[in-house]
Amino acid sequence: MKRIDLEFDLVVIGGGTGGPMAAVKAKEKNPKLRVLLIDKANVKRSGAISMGMDGLNNAVIPGHATPEQYVKEITIANDGIVDQEAVMAYAANSFDMINELDRWGVKFEKDETGDYAVRKVHHLGSYVLPMPEGHHMKKILYRQLKKARVEVTNRVVVTRVLTGANGEVAAVMGFDCRTADIYVIRTRAAVISTGAAGRIGLPASGYLMGTYENPTNCGDGHAMAYHAGASLANLECFQINPLIKDYNGPACAYVTGPFGGFTANSKGERFIECDYWSGQMMMEFHNELEGGNGPVFLKLDHLAEETIQEIETILHTNERPSRGRFHEKRGNDYRSQMVEMHISEIGFCSGHSASGIHINARGETSVPGLYAAGDCASVPHNYMLGAFVYGRICGENAAEYCAERPLVDYDAGAAAAEEARILAPLGRTDGLTPFQIEYKTRRLVNDYLQPPKITRKYEIALRRFDEIREDTACMMAGNPHELMRAMEAHSIIDCAEMAARASLFRTESRWGLYHYYVDHPERDDDNWFCHTLLSKGADGRMTLAKKAIEPYVVPIDEEERTAYQRLRVARSAEAA
Amino acid sequence: MTLAATPTQVPVQVDNDKCIAEKGCTVCVDVCPLDVLAIDMLTRKAFMKFDECWYCLPCETDCPTGAVSVSIPYLLR
Amino acid sequence: MELQTLSIADRLASPDAEVRRLAVIDLPYSDEDDIVPLLLPRLQDSDATVRTEAVRALEGYEDAEVVEALAPMLLDPDAEVRTAVGLVLSELKESASAAPLIPFLSGHSAEVRMLALRAVRALRVDAAFAPAMDALKDADAGVRREAVGVLGYLRRAEAIGALAEIAARDPDHEVRRIAIGAIGYSSEVSVLPALTRALSDVSWMVRDEAAQTLGKLRLGLAIPELMRAMQDDYWQVRVKAARSLGLLKATAALPSLMEALAHPIGNLRKEAAIALGEIADPRAIPALEKALDDADPDVRKLSRLALTAISLAQK
Repeated sequence: MKRIDLEFDLVVIGGGTGGPMAAVKAKEKNPKLRVLLIDKANVKRSGAISMGMDGLNNAVIPGHATPEQYVKEITIANDGIVDQEAVMAYAANSFDMINELDRWGVKFEKDETGDYAVRKVHHLGSYVLPMPEGHHMKKILYRQLKKARVEVTNRVVVTRVLTGANGEVAAVMGFDCRTADIYVIRTRAAVISTGAAGRIGLPASGYLMGTYENPTNCGDGHAMAYHAGASLANLECFQINPLIKDYNGPACAYVTGPFGGFTANSKGERFIECDYWSGQMMMEFHNELEGGNGPVFLKLDHLAEETIQEIETILHTNERPSRGRFHEKRGNDYRSQMVEMHISEIGFCSGHSASGIHINARGETSVPGLYAAGDCASVPHNYMLGAFVYGRICGENAAEYCAERPLVDYDAGAAAAEEARILAPLGRTDGLTPFQIEYKTRRLVNDYLQPPKITRKYEIALRRFDEIREDTACMMAGNPHELMRAMEAHSIIDCAEMAARASLFRTESRWGLYHYYVDHPERDDDNWFCHTLLSKGADGRMTLAKKAIEPYVVPIDEEERTAYQRLRVARSAEAA
Repeated sequence: MTLAATPTQVPVQVDNDKCIAEKGCTVCVDVCPLDVLAIDMLTRKAFMKFDECWYCLPCETDCPTGAVSVSIPYLLR
Repeated sequence: MELQTLSIADRLASPDAEVRRLAVIDLPYSDEDDIVPLLLPRLQDSDATVRTEAVRALEGYEDAEVVEALAPMLLDPDAEVRTAVGLVLSELKESASAAPLIPFLSGHSAEVRMLALRAVRALRVDAAFAPAMDALKDADAGVRREAVGVLGYLRRAEAIGALAEIAARDPDHEVRRIAIGAIGYSSEVSVLPALTRALSDVSWMVRDEAAQTLGKLRLGLAIPELMRAMQDDYWQVRVKAARSLGLLKATAALPSLMEALAHPIGNLRKEAAIALGEIADPRAIPALEKALDDADPDVRKLSRLALTAISLAQK
């Protein structure tokens, strides 16, 4: 293994969805910039949309929805805890991005006159735009990277962002997962687009990589932002999804809903009121599952043959094509029986919930020169289109930033320490394997952190995480591939601890199941109508603070708010 | 040494008669997000080296000769 | 591995067709910045599998020389190559790309005509208008379908009559359905007869499309016919009719929508609740209040939202 020193103007970390967009947009803004897109997999098929996506959930298209309407819905869906300006920045740019993707060759469903065929799925506005051939997404992105002359480096795992004397971005460090060569890349600015932290908990199957999220998305970006000094927002707002039991792929009520499919209890009855993914919906799901009416199922067996065929075509070709194969082995047929569903392990993913590296409407984190986009950043309910829009925002703003900044020296001591940290497991010939460290961390996350949240359990978890941290001192790696898993295990422990500390800080319950805190079961707007920010304290330990909600740009009418409140309380009122 | 070597059945199978890795093909190895496939230097065919599969299927769909087939890992089935 | 140490240019020129094909597959992901000049010669490759991959790799590279090279390949002897060419050409975006395609819109085989028509659709060029109008009379239903698609995208007033005729008389129900959707660019009252006639088509998919198009065009004059469509044998058609009646804010449709709130199909009750909220007429309040006890939580929720919309509208 050797050390490779490089120099760029902008480094984009993560080549899934938001990353390629950030790189392309930075080059378009300033073609003279030296832009590097770096990925620990291969950009050709990396990230959450490696096999494409079947549609947009949050398309804000004139005539079907307005940005103001969208901002309102997201505000209410997140119990008011949003930076509306940041949500508006997405909504206002959503339509331009759809048109740009359309020009790039992404196929959105259109009617016979060429207008987008937007679907209304139970929201106030209409936001669903199907992508019948969404499996070409990555190919299209790669073509744009080539046209924009972005440099791509694959199979390099970035582990840290190094800062300069004033705390600004100075370099990124990592290693090649096939050769263990150490990379030190000086840069003026960096964009983190590393996706969700989806490998914190253990899936029901017990198979380590059987996660809902692409398992490469293990929280590397969350960890490197934290260690670089950036703040992370609302981490107690977990991501928990309704999934097909054991398979851990989405059950896709979004896709089947418009066709008449729904989530049912063991009696075959619909029980969910709030059927777009939210903490409230997951609470209803959890109650049904645990309350004697479970198991919970995806019900399609009442639909007509041609409808089921259409559903199968969509579900079994895009996003998770192995779904059909799973059903076949189990003898599941949508026509004749309901498909068992379950609740996912926990994670951080702003795409579906609201937690991540804190950014503002310009994509800036609290570290100068550091930007974040997509599932790893804090703008709520962004989904794929939000990752693209914020990729563009970050790319353009980072291009502007680095045009006027010199390269600064990174902290040489920090670089040496990081090199030693990375290489340590390769130097050991005996000890604990990364698999053991990771499995144990994730098993403890399930045991103690899966909501409902209980203070005593969380305290035990924190103690056990500390023990595992000590154990990492004897973690070994037999080859560069195992070294990648070892470094990922560090990110996973960091994220697990962040999840626990953020949850203990917010002493109220909010966002349905995502932050259902048994010791503090009520929502407490007087004390907790605020963001929470987690960062590295002067003592090197995690510290938490409240941050006031930014002034709303779209006021919410009291009556509208009550209408939503009534939606939420209706169920418990019925039960009473 | 305190390390075990525990075998496990892997989900990705490669049909050696169809695999053309010896002609310079590394498509399946390139596209795997988890980097679990490799070319065997002796047989010069692709194989699954690490049991860390997300059953996401690019290796199978992108294989130019249809040599790769992915089954759902046993623990999930 | 020695083969990988060869340059991509050498691999593209290998005597082994399989090696050439692999090189073409790798090219878009290689370090080569400018892949088009390397791919163009491979379109003439003696091996059909190499040609197929070269065609696919050129997708999204819309230079004039690429389009000019690809268009004649619609006549390639190999079926797989032709399919790939059709797909790649259907991805074209610039109207400037249309010229090399026009000669293939007529003559040749039905497959070629169909692929060429599909390719020019999104380009929206006037030169495609006359051939598309001619192709409405094609013996092949697939060709007629694509021709209707071209005319729908072109949105020219003079095609409305012909599209209405196709919508009424074409023997193929999918052609009729697309024609009904394609009419959805004109909000002229003259399209009304064609659309209302289609509400009684023998195929429910055509009726479904017609109910939807009437709402998209906001054709208020069609409200009586849409209300009749609320009695369609297929609930799918009723759902679309309810959707359109809501978009049209059709107060006259209150009775049929309130009736639909009690229909056994949940999807229809949901759509009726949404429409009643959009119309926001207080006379719907009792029916919606009753729906608050619906067995389906979705219907209950949407009824609550509709009641809120009505009370907001009264302010």
